[in-house]
Amino acid sequence: MNELAQLVDDLCSRSTGDELWRNLEDTGLARLTTSQGAGPLEAAIVLSGFARRTASVPIAETDLLAAWLAGKAGLPVPSTGPLTVAIADATEVDGRLTGTARDVPWPSSTVVLAARTADALHVGLVDATSHGAIKFDVAVGELRTVDISVADELTRRGAWARCNQIIGALDAACEMTVAHTGERVQFGRQLNKFQAVQHSLAAMAGEIERARAATALAVAAAADYGFDHPATDYAVTVAKVAVGRAVNPVTTIAHQLHGAIGVTAEHRLWLATMRARSWVDEFGTTASYARRLGRIALTADDPWDVVVSCPAPR
Amino acid sequence: MSEFDALCANDAELGQLRTSIREFLAADRAEFGWQPAVDCWLAKWDPDFSARLADAGFVGLTIPAEYGGRGLGYLHRYVVTEELLAHGAPVAAHWIADRQVAPALLSYGSEEQRRRLLPRIAAGQLYSAIGMSEHGAGSDLAAAQARATRTDGGWLLNGTKVWTSGAHVAHQIVVLARTSPLDPQHRHAGFSQFIVQTSTPGITISPILLMNGEHHFNEVLFEDVFIPDDDVLGQIGDGWHQVTAELGFERSGPERILSTATLIFSAIRALGDVDDGVAADVGDLVARLISLRQLSISVARTLADGRDAASRAALVKDLGTRFEQDSVELVADLLDYVEEPEPLRALLATARVHSPLFTLRGGTNEVLRGVVAKGMGA
Repeated sequence: MNELAQLVDDLCSRSTGDELWRNLEDTGLARLTTSQGAGPLEAAIVLSGFARRTASVPIAETDLLAAWLAGKAGLPVPSTGPLTVAIADATEVDGRLTGTARDVPWPSSTVVLAARTADALHVGLVDATSHGAIKFDVAVGELRTVDISVADELTRRGAWARCNQIIGALDAACEMTVAHTGERVQFGRQLNKFQAVQHSLAAMAGEIERARAATALAVAAAADYGFDHPATDYAVTVAKVAVGRAVNPVTTIAHQLHGAIGVTAEHRLWLATMRARSWVDEFGTTASYARRLGRIALTADDPWDVVVSCPAPR
Repeated sequence: MSEFDALCANDAELGQLRTSIREFLAADRAEFGWQPAVDCWLAKWDPDFSARLADAGFVGLTIPAEYGGRGLGYLHRYVVTEELLAHGAPVAAHWIADRQVAPALLSYGSEEQRRRLLPRIAAGQLYSAIGMSEHGAGSDLAAAQARATRTDGGWLLNGTKVWTSGAHVAHQIVVLARTSPLDPQHRHAGFSQFIVQTSTPGITISPILLMNGEHHFNEVLFEDVFIPDDDVLGQIGDGWHQVTAELGFERSGPERILSTATLIFSAIRALGDVDDGVAADVGDLVARLISLRQLSISVARTLADGRDAASRAALVKDLGTRFEQDSVELVADLLDYVEEPEPLRALLATARVHSPLFTLRGGTNEVLRGVVAKGMGA
C-alpha cells in the first residue's frame, strides 16, 4: 500500500496534465479497479493521493464510475483515454428518452450517459461537450438497460470517491497552512507561535481527522462488502455528512491563516480549497445525506444501534 | 475478519461482549429501576450497582486474572464502557478506580499493592478519588504545591487539593505531591504519587457544590498526614511521568463523547413524524457522533497496539467534549417537536449544569489544542 502511495507521489512529481494522464494509463492507475483487479483500498489511496498533490485527473470518473457502469451494462467503451459519466433523470415519451445531465465532471471526456427513469437505468455513449450540461434525446433502443439499483450504486460510488478526494484536498490545505504559518513572520514572531493561530490549526486538524475516520469506515465497508451493500450505504452516508461538514471550517481556516496571498490565482491553495468546496456538493449534497441518516436514526429500534454500526434492516 | 466490524468495535468477541453487557443492563434496570442519567460517570454513585456490575464480570476487564480481573484487552473495556455510558448507567462509584487507578497500579504499583487493591477494584468495591488540581494549579498542574516530606517509615503530606470528585465517599485518594522543591528549570521533576486512605488522621474533606447544589467535588486539606512507604505509588520523583504517560487512554475514551448520550437518544426516540429539516438536524447530530466514535476507536486501537497517539487523543477530547456541549443545545431545539417533552426537560436541565465541565475536566480544551498544534510543528 505504501508503494502505491509512493507511486502516486512520484508520478505527480514528474508530470502534470496530459503527460500525467498518459503516465496513469502506462502504469495502470487510470483503470485500477476495472482492469487491474484492484479494489476499494487501492482506489482510496490513489484518489486521496492525487487530491493531496492537487493533481487534476479524472480517475474516479474514468475507473470507478464510467468504466464500471459500462461494464455493468455491457457497453463497449474505449480502453484508453479519460471517461466520465453524465447522470440525469430522464423522461420516456414514444420510445425516446429526453433530459439534461448537469454538472457533468470532465465533460470533454468520452461520456457515458446514465439516464434514470422510474424503474430502470439506461446507459449509452453521448457526445462530449466543452461545458458541464449535456442535453440528450435518444431512442430507448439505442441505450442499454440495467436494474435501477445500479443507479444507486453509481451515486454511492461517486460519493465515496469524493469523500476520499476531499480528504486528500483537505490534507493539502492543512499542509500548506502549517508550512505558511511556520514561515510567515508578523510582530516579530512566526504566526504559529500565536496561541490564536495554534488553536485554529488544532481545530483544522480535528475536523480533518474526524472526517478521515468516517471515510476510513466507508473504505473498509466497500473493501469488505463491495459498493452494493447496506453497510457500505450506511458508511458512505455517514462519511458524506462528516466530510461535508468538515470542508467549510477547514477551508475557511486555511484561507484565514494564509491571509490575502491565499486567495490569489498564483498561490496553490485554491487548488485544494476550491476543489474540496466543489466536490462537496457532488453525488448528493451534505444536507441530503444528513436527512437520510436522520431518517435512519429516527426509524431505528434504538438510535444507539445506528451509532455503533450499520443497523439491521427492518 | 471484517475490517468494517473491527472499526465498529463489533467483531466476533467484542460483538458478543456488547450483547452480554446490553442484556445485563436491561435486566438490571428492570429489576432495580435506575434511571438513565446524563454525565452518569460523574453524577450517579451507586455502590450496589457497581457490585452487581462486577459480579457479572464487567468491572476490572483489563486487570489480569491473577489479581481478580478478566485479563481482557483495552478494546473489550472500551465496548463495555461505551455501553454503560450510552445507557446512562450509575457507574460513578467504581469509575475512577477501574479507569485510572487500576492501570496505574499495573504500570507502577508494587506487587503488594496490586494484591491488596486490584481484587477490590475488580469486585467494584474500592472507590478512589484522584488529587491533582490545587487552588493555584489548574491547567498548570506543575504549579502544584502539596508536598510530602520524609519521616520515619514513610512520608508526611501537607497541602490542599481541589475539585477532588467523590473524595467524600471514596476509600482512598491518589495524591500527586512534591517530594523535592521546585526547580524552575525542571518544573516537572520532583513529583511523586501517594495512595492515601481517606480515614487517615489529618485529612479534612469539604464539599464544593455545583451550581445546582449537587455534591461531587471536594476540597481536601492534608495536615501532617502520615503515609507509610508501602503506599508510595511507583517511584519517588517519577510522579509527573506516571500521571501523564497514560493520558492518551483517558483523553480519547468514550466518556469524552457520550456524557450526553442519554439525552440525545431519548430525544431521538421521542421524536415522532418530523419534517426534512428536523431529520437533517438529527442526521447531522448522529453523523458527528458516529465520526467521533470512529476517531476514538481508531485511537483506542492505536494505543492498544502500544503505538503513540498522544496528539490524536488530545483531538478526540477537544472535539468530543465540544460535541457533548453542542449536543445539549441541539437537543433543546429538537424538544419543540416532541409531544411530551417534560421528562426530557429534566435531563436537559441537568445537562446544562454539567455542560461547562465537559471541556474543563481532565485538562482544558485550550491546553489540548496547544498539544495538538505542537504536534503539527507549531
